[in-house]
Amino acid sequence: MAQLDVALIGAGGIARTHLPAWTALGARVRVYAPDGQAPALAREFGQSAAGSREEAIEGADVVDVCTPTDTHHEITLAAVAAGAHVLCEKPLSLHTADAEEMAAAADAAGVRLYPGHVVRWFPAYARLHALVTGGGLGRIAVARFTRTGRYPTWSGWFADHARSGGILVDQMIHDMDIARWLFGEVVRVHAQQSGHLTAPAPDGAVATGTVVLTHATGVITQIVGVWAPPATPFRTTFHIAGSGGTLQHDSLASPGLRIVGTAGAGPAEGIPAGDFGESPYVAQIREFADAFTGGAEPRVSAADGVAAVRIAEAAAVSTRTGRAVDLVTSLEGTSA
Amino acid sequence: MRIAVLSFAHVHAPTYMELLRDREDVELLTADPDAPPDDPDRGAALAGRLGVPYSADWDEVFAQRPDAVVVTSENSRHRHLVERAAAVGAHVLCEKPLATTETDARAMIDACARAGVSLMTAYPVRFGSAFAALHRAVEEGSLGSLVSVHGSNNGWNPSSSRSWFGNRELAGGGAVMDHTVHIADLMDVLLGGEQAVEVYAQANDRLRDAEAGDAEAGDAEAGVETAGLVTVRYPGGVVAGIDCSWSHPKDHPTWGGLALTCVAERGIVEFDAFPRLLGGFDSTTARSRWEPGGDDLDGAMLEEFLDAVRTGRRPQPDGEAGLRSLRIVLAAYESLRTGQPVPLPEPQDTGGVARLDE
Repeated sequence: MAQLDVALIGAGGIARTHLPAWTALGARVRVYAPDGQAPALAREFGQSAAGSREEAIEGADVVDVCTPTDTHHEITLAAVAAGAHVLCEKPLSLHTADAEEMAAAADAAGVRLYPGHVVRWFPAYARLHALVTGGGLGRIAVARFTRTGRYPTWSGWFADHARSGGILVDQMIHDMDIARWLFGEVVRVHAQQSGHLTAPAPDGAVATGTVVLTHATGVITQIVGVWAPPATPFRTTFHIAGSGGTLQHDSLASPGLRIVGTAGAGPAEGIPAGDFGESPYVAQIREFADAFTGGAEPRVSAADGVAAVRIAEAAAVSTRTGRAVDLVTSLEGTSA
Repeated sequence: MRIAVLSFAHVHAPTYMELLRDREDVELLTADPDAPPDDPDRGAALAGRLGVPYSADWDEVFAQRPDAVVVTSENSRHRHLVERAAAVGAHVLCEKPLATTETDARAMIDACARAGVSLMTAYPVRFGSAFAALHRAVEEGSLGSLVSVHGSNNGWNPSSSRSWFGNRELAGGGAVMDHTVHIADLMDVLLGGEQAVEVYAQANDRLRDAEAGDAEAGDAEAGVETAGLVTVRYPGGVVAGIDCSWSHPKDHPTWGGLALTCVAERGIVEFDAFPRLLGGFDSTTARSRWEPGGDDLDGAMLEEFLDAVRTGRRPQPDGEAGLRSLRIVLAAYESLRTGQPVPLPEPQDTGGVARLDE
């Protein structure tokens, strides 16, 4: 693979997972973040910091957008205008129209845009997809997904619905994307949320979301997201039922290694690291880097990112209106 | 005490009969006159196999003046038996769901109140000791306020052993009718009988083809839903997400299960009503071992009922509790029709009806 020049925009939690992945793949990375955190992060991984966003993007092969969601649209358009491919952290945007504009702009400029729906690279979900698409579960009827992690109070913007969309959009979009990947287009969305739903969120805040998706095929999916009390370990589960039986997963149930006692104590992780073996973040970025350098299309497309935003935005509308939201699915442009 | 089990239509009837048969303080009567004549799991054949007395018709069993009855007929056939029992002054334990319409449930509650007899709804899961500990933790406030709950009550499709479960008229519906009420009742306990304010439901019958026997294939139009997701909102903002599907594989070593996760302000509690006591692998059947653990929930529920019969106190869950969870299910079916969340009407005023405990 040709060496890529990557501009990493943002130096928060997700940048900290992407930077070692790019570094491991041999990319040259310059990091920029308006909060002044870029030099320290870059130094940690032997990369450089840029003095401004423009300086970072100038001449980059790839711009990796790891900033708060409400800035994705503007930064992505700037990157595309500069002729760079874009890896944009999920959600692509808070609004479907903005996400569509991002995808269209990349298309028009002849560059690639990929959303960081990294759960598709977590081994349990990748295997789930292989089993479902291979027909191993027969005719699938009903699925449940849960995702529990401590309330992301480490950065104030997560609790601010105007910036992150709150738990429904920021966290639960992961499983919305997975459900659509597995069971196809979503035609109806209903959502409820409870708990602490406003900014600022104090330490100890709790918020949950409960979403039901109806797929065009008739499959029904329940997604529960929890932003939990501080000591809660990160955990994901799923349970899928079809005519060929059931398939279930609990990320805490069968660890390859478990350490308890004082040596294992510490604050709970807010961002899951994955199990042993290759980090899902490295696997994701390897697949994107390959596509950016002329290789095969990755397992997620810009259209998938747009569709995920459409579902998440419908969920947000549902909580505001108290109604189930019907989505008109367009089958055009769903594959790159 | 003389206790009559009325109808063996429900899959729980044989369990109740065995538990009651084995009690020193109970004289058991049974009747199942509506049974199909050739069904070896119904009627005199079942009574004979279990070694319990059997009456050929309702008149005969009621003529023996039971102190109490257990009604295990088809869901829509509870009312007439409950009314007859009330008329002879017998206390009633009625299988869930209490009825398939609010009118029937209300009539049953009123009939028992007028006759001065107890009406208890058969929700065994609330009698488990683990659930009691969860209830205590919520009541004492150590968890902080409840934020939301998600739970699953999945099981085998019961229509493969009792075909009326697949008949909308007799069962009132499918998996949504059969299974939503159990978790709705647990919520009823945790929230102190708060009536839900809104219900949303989606369902499908995508598992039915695999489950239905060839003989039923022609009844496709009349079939019931086999998979369902129900979202319930309560006045304080607590949301309950329920998977009520008959999605448990029929060749699995267990019938299914019920699990609930409560997210509260200071902690997350996971409750499993039917935990696995022992696991492993069975080489002779080439499948997983699954030795069930947990309490004898049916036994504990019957103990509550019989104690109430003995003492004359009002048992819980009563008919009103049964009606509250039934209203959630009826709203779920309305939601399935409209595709939208359905608000629950304010509970009707029951002030005009004398209560047992008044």
